[in-house]
Amino acid sequence: MISRRALELATAVLTGSFGVAVVVSSLDNGIGWSSAGVESGTFPFLTGVIVVLGSLYNLARGALPGLTLASVPIAITPTELRRLAGLFVPAAIFVAAMPLIGIYLASALYIFAVLAVPKHQSPMRSSMMAAATALGLYVVFERMFQVSLPHGALAAAFGF
Amino acid sequence: MDNLQELLHGFGIAITLSHLALMVIGVLLGILVGVLPGLGAPNGVSLLLPLTFGMQPVSAIILLSSMYWGALFGGSVTSILFNIPGEPSSVATTFDGYPMARDGRPTTALATAFGSAAFGALVGVILITFLASWVAEVALAFGPPEYFAVYFLAFASFVGMGGAAPIKTVVALGIGFAIAAIGIDTVSGSVRLTMGVDELVKGVNFVVAVMGLFGIGELLVAVEEEFHARAVSSKIDWREVFRAVGRLPRHSVALLRSAAIGCWMGITPGGPTAASFMSYGIARRFSRRGRYFGTGEVEGIISPETADHAAGTSALLPMLSLGIPGSATAAVMMGGLMIWGLNPGPMLFVDQKDFVWGLIASMYVGNIVAVALVLLTVPVFAALMRIPFVVIAPLIVIICVVGAYSVSNSYLDVVMMMGFGIVGYLFKKLFYPLAPLVLAIVIGDKAEDAFRQSMLMSKGSLGIFFANRLVTCLVVAGIVLLLLPLALQLARMLLRKPALPGDPTTSQEKVII
Repeated sequence: MISRRALELATAVLTGSFGVAVVVSSLDNGIGWSSAGVESGTFPFLTGVIVVLGSLYNLARGALPGLTLASVPIAITPTELRRLAGLFVPAAIFVAAMPLIGIYLASALYIFAVLAVPKHQSPMRSSMMAAATALGLYVVFERMFQVSLPHGALAAAFGF
Repeated sequence: MDNLQELLHGFGIAITLSHLALMVIGVLLGILVGVLPGLGAPNGVSLLLPLTFGMQPVSAIILLSSMYWGALFGGSVTSILFNIPGEPSSVATTFDGYPMARDGRPTTALATAFGSAAFGALVGVILITFLASWVAEVALAFGPPEYFAVYFLAFASFVGMGGAAPIKTVVALGIGFAIAAIGIDTVSGSVRLTMGVDELVKGVNFVVAVMGLFGIGELLVAVEEEFHARAVSSKIDWREVFRAVGRLPRHSVALLRSAAIGCWMGITPGGPTAASFMSYGIARRFSRRGRYFGTGEVEGIISPETADHAAGTSALLPMLSLGIPGSATAAVMMGGLMIWGLNPGPMLFVDQKDFVWGLIASMYVGNIVAVALVLLTVPVFAALMRIPFVVIAPLIVIICVVGAYSVSNSYLDVVMMMGFGIVGYLFKKLFYPLAPLVLAIVIGDKAEDAFRQSMLMSKGSLGIFFANRLVTCLVVAGIVLLLLPLALQLARMLLRKPALPGDPTTSQEKVII
């Protein structure tokens, strides 16, 4: 279970650290006024500062009890968290596998795994849907629109 | 009337067989992404974007804008029949649309929604027809300071009128600006904010951000609640369609008021979502039958639908004439314009007359096509909703991955897209608005250029933003909008001493994008 407050704090820390990174990185480009006009780091520097200040405000607001957040104390229940993971984890594995086995094989395996493993569909139907997805991708992108999708290191090793 | 002549010329361009076919394709794809939860107009349009690179700009924009109309209509279908808003901007339609459909009048609810939506869109297009070229003419005289002031005003109006928590809007805007700055600086040519990743030199494409924020992010929000598509009958009774549309003029006050609210929110970037909620709230307050709202009131459907479509349409006005998109989808389209080699802004009306007037004429035709198609296809798309979410979700993930990859054949883009997905989920969950973030990514560079050019003109003095009456007005209006939430809060504190502990999170806050 994740409380709304924890989520608010985590997000504020996330945006805040992005802001800090922007500020630090833009200092390398130089900020302020030079003979050539406004230096290239100035604008990012200012936006970074604004993000940091805003995040600090959101952080404080998230940390203080009894403010507007009180009505929804729980942001993500355990069931919701399980569903979230059920969607995101396979998707992340799919993306991670893409450079190795290519998008066609990866997407077919992904569809099969998501449908057959939790027993949403029978293995037979799942594998048919998986094959149809890969074939559909190939026909639409590679054939119809001539967009080359990643074939993966494995396919390259076999000379495709 | 120069405008009407130009418009007729535009009709000549828009009404050709190939363009009508593109409209039909666009609208159907639009309804599809509108109906599917997790896919919406912004990422639908960005998915289609890479496929338009080989097209004539006018054909491409007709395809994309038709998709936008289709998505706006498609969102209402699921709101009314399933109580599941397909688009954030059609959430307000569920309040009265679903109860009416559940009470056995689905055709009436759908026809009322589509009829008033078409009216809203019509008002928006008429406004564009007569106002856009005039605004562009005024804007031709703009220099960099005026442009920066207009950008400032646009961003300030998100903070002042967007409906989300002001500081969260500011943070979203700031992040968008920073993302826009990643890569090669257009003025000095130096590399910025790549944080040591060489591939980031090319910058972060807005399509990648949109895919993640709106695609993966929305999917993650949607998967939390298990959908039970308890559909009411989706059969269309055609006689009832005409009867329901025939009854619309009785509600002309609500129609006109909602259209006005919608146009205002579309032009000053507040977006369709905020517009539909505002319109619904005002209608409930002023209608004589206000206390029946929520039980299937006709005006409860008319108000949000009219405002939603009026805002969606008129969001293209500032995009065309000033180069400032009025909604997230308009921002994506504007990104497309820049990719096709057009420069959005007043010069379009001088250099690209065919493009501009072809687009405006196509809006009239496209909305008619959309109304007809959406009525014809309601049963088909309603059947689509019965496909279990577990099947649709991985397909949408694959579509987003392919969409992000095909922007520039880069694996890094796919990884970033997943990252944006997490950010999109967190932001949606915590009511950070997403539209200003996308807007800032698309026009951040232009705003920065305008600022730096102004600084060059004035040799580093901010006084240039108060140098003449026009620019002063714009800047002051922007500052007023920025301070508006603060002033409202102060006023509330003075009037009612203790702020209500634990303000109930309104349902509006939940869906602001």
